[in-house]
Amino acid sequence: MKQYRFLSLTALLAGATIFSSCDDDPEPVIVPPTESGIIEVDGGGAEYPNTAFIQFRTGTQTAVARESWDLAFSSGSDFKVLINGTTGAMASATGKTDISTVGADEIAAAEASGELILTFTNLEGILHVDDAANPLTNPAIASISSTDAENEVYLLNRGTSAATERPWKKIRITRNGTGYTLEHADADSDTFTSLEVSKNAEDNFVYVSFENGIVEVEPAKAAWDIAWTAGTSSTPYPDATNGTLAYFFQDLVYSNIYGGVGVAQVVETDIAYSDFTEADVFSLTFSTNNRLTIGSSWRSGGGPSSSPAVKEDIYYLVKDAEANIYKVRFLSLTKDGERGKPSLEFELVSEEL
Amino acid sequence: MHRFNLNKHFLLFLLLLLAMPLWTQAQTVLKGKVVNTKGEAVSHATIWLAELKGEVADEQGNFTLTKLPKEGKLKISAVGFETIWSTWPAGKTSESFVLSASTSELETVVVTGNFEPQSARQSVYQVRTISSEVIQNRAPRNIQEVLSTELGIRFSQDNALGSSNMELLGMSGQNVKILIDGIPMVGRQGTSNEININQIDINRIERVEIVEGPMSVVYGADALAGVINIITKSDGSEKFDVKARVQEETVGNEYSPFDGKGTHIRSVTGSYKFKNWDFGASFSQNNFGGWKGEETGREYEWLPKDQNFLNLKAGWGNESLNLEYQLDFLDETVFSYGPEARLEMLDQEFITSRWMHRLSGRWDTNSKFGVTWQGAFTDYARESQTWVTNARTGEHYQSQAPGTNTTIDYIGFSWRMIGDWKIAEKFKLQPGIDLNLENGSGERITENEGIQDYAVFLSGEWSPISTIKIKPGLRKSWNSAYDTPALIPSLNTKFALNENLDLRLAYANGFRAPSIRELYFNFFDASHSITGNPDLKAETSNSFNGSLDWKTEVNPTWKTSTVLGAFYNDVKDRIAYGQDPDNIQVTTLFNVEHYKTTGFTLNQAHSFKNLTANIGFSYIGRYNLLSEEQTVVPQMSWTPEVNANLTYQISPWRSTATLFYKWTGALPGYETTADSEGNPSATQIMLDGYHWMDISFKKDFGGHLSVNAGARNILDVKQISSTSQGGDAHGTGTQRPVGYGRSYFLGLTYQLNK
Repeated sequence: MKQYRFLSLTALLAGATIFSSCDDDPEPVIVPPTESGIIEVDGGGAEYPNTAFIQFRTGTQTAVARESWDLAFSSGSDFKVLINGTTGAMASATGKTDISTVGADEIAAAEASGELILTFTNLEGILHVDDAANPLTNPAIASISSTDAENEVYLLNRGTSAATERPWKKIRITRNGTGYTLEHADADSDTFTSLEVSKNAEDNFVYVSFENGIVEVEPAKAAWDIAWTAGTSSTPYPDATNGTLAYFFQDLVYSNIYGGVGVAQVVETDIAYSDFTEADVFSLTFSTNNRLTIGSSWRSGGGPSSSPAVKEDIYYLVKDAEANIYKVRFLSLTKDGERGKPSLEFELVSEEL
Repeated sequence: MHRFNLNKHFLLFLLLLLAMPLWTQAQTVLKGKVVNTKGEAVSHATIWLAELKGEVADEQGNFTLTKLPKEGKLKISAVGFETIWSTWPAGKTSESFVLSASTSELETVVVTGNFEPQSARQSVYQVRTISSEVIQNRAPRNIQEVLSTELGIRFSQDNALGSSNMELLGMSGQNVKILIDGIPMVGRQGTSNEININQIDINRIERVEIVEGPMSVVYGADALAGVINIITKSDGSEKFDVKARVQEETVGNEYSPFDGKGTHIRSVTGSYKFKNWDFGASFSQNNFGGWKGEETGREYEWLPKDQNFLNLKAGWGNESLNLEYQLDFLDETVFSYGPEARLEMLDQEFITSRWMHRLSGRWDTNSKFGVTWQGAFTDYARESQTWVTNARTGEHYQSQAPGTNTTIDYIGFSWRMIGDWKIAEKFKLQPGIDLNLENGSGERITENEGIQDYAVFLSGEWSPISTIKIKPGLRKSWNSAYDTPALIPSLNTKFALNENLDLRLAYANGFRAPSIRELYFNFFDASHSITGNPDLKAETSNSFNGSLDWKTEVNPTWKTSTVLGAFYNDVKDRIAYGQDPDNIQVTTLFNVEHYKTTGFTLNQAHSFKNLTANIGFSYIGRYNLLSEEQTVVPQMSWTPEVNANLTYQISPWRSTATLFYKWTGALPGYETTADSEGNPSATQIMLDGYHWMDISFKKDFGGHLSVNAGARNILDVKQISSTSQGGDAHGTGTQRPVGYGRSYFLGLTYQLNK
């Protein structure tokens, strides 16, 4: 901790020096990236209520309640919408395009099959969640078509992790020029609400909550590198559909692949964390298409005579959107013994040139 | 938590002991000793005086009388010996009385299920006894060690909690009633709600009686597979008696003297008699340093455990009434060290404290009617604490985060009273009542009213001719929390086919009550959704038992006995986990499964000059639940076991050498796996068998000191492997811990009495 405080203070001082010396300089102030530090991730505690977005070059984090949003509308050139995997949400297409005709029959069918409930016994769960590693490649909700008649109504279980159990929703999304129109209602409701959602080039996604409309969740796409969260993951399982079982994991670490962040994993026995220098970067390949490159690999699951623990033999290199490269290793799953408050340390290896 | 300041308490205790002789000076007594024809002491003989008052001699055969009996006449009887009538020689203050052995010296006395102690031969129950000699010769570390080489008993080590689960004749430990001097132990905890049998002071155990088959009529719930009755030491007839024991053991190849690595046992016991009163106190420590095994960091394969035991007792008796109060206190801490970490290392401590108050007594109104009772009040608490060690700052403190410190409290009250009414020479009635009140609370246990269980039972013993005994029994109980079986019947019979051959046949109904955890325990977190089911009813069983017991004397130096036993158990409404139909995300418990066990056991005991040999074989079948779905799965899976127990007395050296051996056969089972097309199919799985051997030597020096030394787990067993793919929820993997390798021990026992 002390080290971090000291360094961020130097960073501030450096910034202050620049400010004072270049008082009237119209050029934007350049704050040098933070050299190193420790971050105690604000996961919110034993119930893991938060997703915490972390940015190394500022040494900061932003914690957001996982239940604060329901849908994430892509701001990219594509028209795609994600469901909230961090609460374990699931969606199924109903085959209908008129939201008012969806109701009791569809609910009953989905309840009977159990397809919208994330459990180890739901073998077709993988069909009803976004791809865990790269959600935009295979979202639960099909790409929003420019042909309205192709956009089906979906039944949505909003997820129950870090959230009280809420009634299922029915939703239908269509294009609206360069943006989206969302129709939503409780699944058994006769009426529905419409909401227009515009893309925002600064963000990866625009987030919507059924209760609060457009909400702030993810920082701007250039403003975070990795995020710690609980969320839906997947694992190979021969009995399940596509040989993959969707399940919920409480210590996932995403990397900001849509914001241009790349991650590589290094084994301690290859190069020790303390020995890793700029020269070693060239041997690494940074993954920019799998947000679960860190994922669950940083900790072991525990067993009959052991608790889950941070893996001591693995660390990561994170290349941020400005091409600063940090080495990052996890220190702990807990803060004062409380789960859901992991900590990590990071150190700048290579500064943007 | 209740933590002892050892030094302080120990000092107090020593002072007490030192003060005792001062009180005893004034008494003049007659000192007698009961010996056999070889001049060796006869333990626990009963000395009957003319006015019907009985005295019991101690282990060394010694007894004392405060005054001369009427006309100096006394009657002395002991199990296995012919009863004698004798006269106290006038003017003498000490005298020896010689008993000659009755036809069979292999006889033992048993108390389980009976109104009063009686010879095992006379009992209608087939009772296995682990005698005090066997326990003394073995100098065990805990009771598990003693039981684990018994036929039909298996332990599975739960190294996450530092405890173990027992299985008796193919039935899990939650179906076995554990009694201390006939009083049920409470404190059901751990994953399967069974008694942790190692939470009993090994130094206080006199002998263990095992009854196979349901004893539910007398002992109620959970006595479905059988009863293990742990008989604690009773006071001898000495004025005062002080005993100290120190034992040091290696744990595999790990040891450090007196503290830390290894097992360190120490115990002090004292008792004192004064007129009609007797008092006793004992304190024991049993510290296990854990075993690292393959672990290199902070973790242990076998968790370290510290135990402190305290026992205080006071008794009062005259010719018709006996009362005894005992207080037992246990303080146990199991240390679970978390893995090495760069910042925060988390350790857990599981702290159990148990206060047990017991009041037992016996009242003989006249020669026709007597009553015994056993009552107990137990306060059991198990606390889990999480401790944080910061690797960078070195700070060590208890975590205050929510959910990291939990407590389960358990309060139980039990009262059992049995009357013994001799209606006629050939007919006795034994009515009884049994109350059991329990209340559990804790973070994960939903608010509940506790469980109140009231029962009445009646058994009769009819002996139409001297060679036949018929003992029918019936129990009716009422329970506040679950549906009890309507009536629990049992029928035990014993036929003396000839002088040497006894046949016992029994039918009994048994039941296991759903535990507080099964009824009310809720556990929800990211990976668990488990609720109790308050609508559970008891599991019930029908059980049939038979045994043939043949005792003979080949010649005066060679005696043998052979017992052949067979059993069949059929359990209905077994409680098992399933999906809640109202919410398929939730796992709860139901009375759904069916289970059976069957098998036979063969035991042979030989006593030839200085050698005693017990050899046994069992073949036990366990029901495969999967056979209901998959035709390829056989209904029963069979496992053999062999055990042997050899004792050789090296008379000139006053030494005893004992060898304990058991082969636990491989345990087959079936589990569901997916075949290549993804369809469920059954696969046979196998848990490996293993051989276990202990050797111990005991030598007496003078009248006071004895030394025990030996080696345990000589064959160096550590783990056995299982071919099971799934295993249980906590994925114990394919290796199951059995032992921690070959270990050595050395112990001293010093006894002083007057």
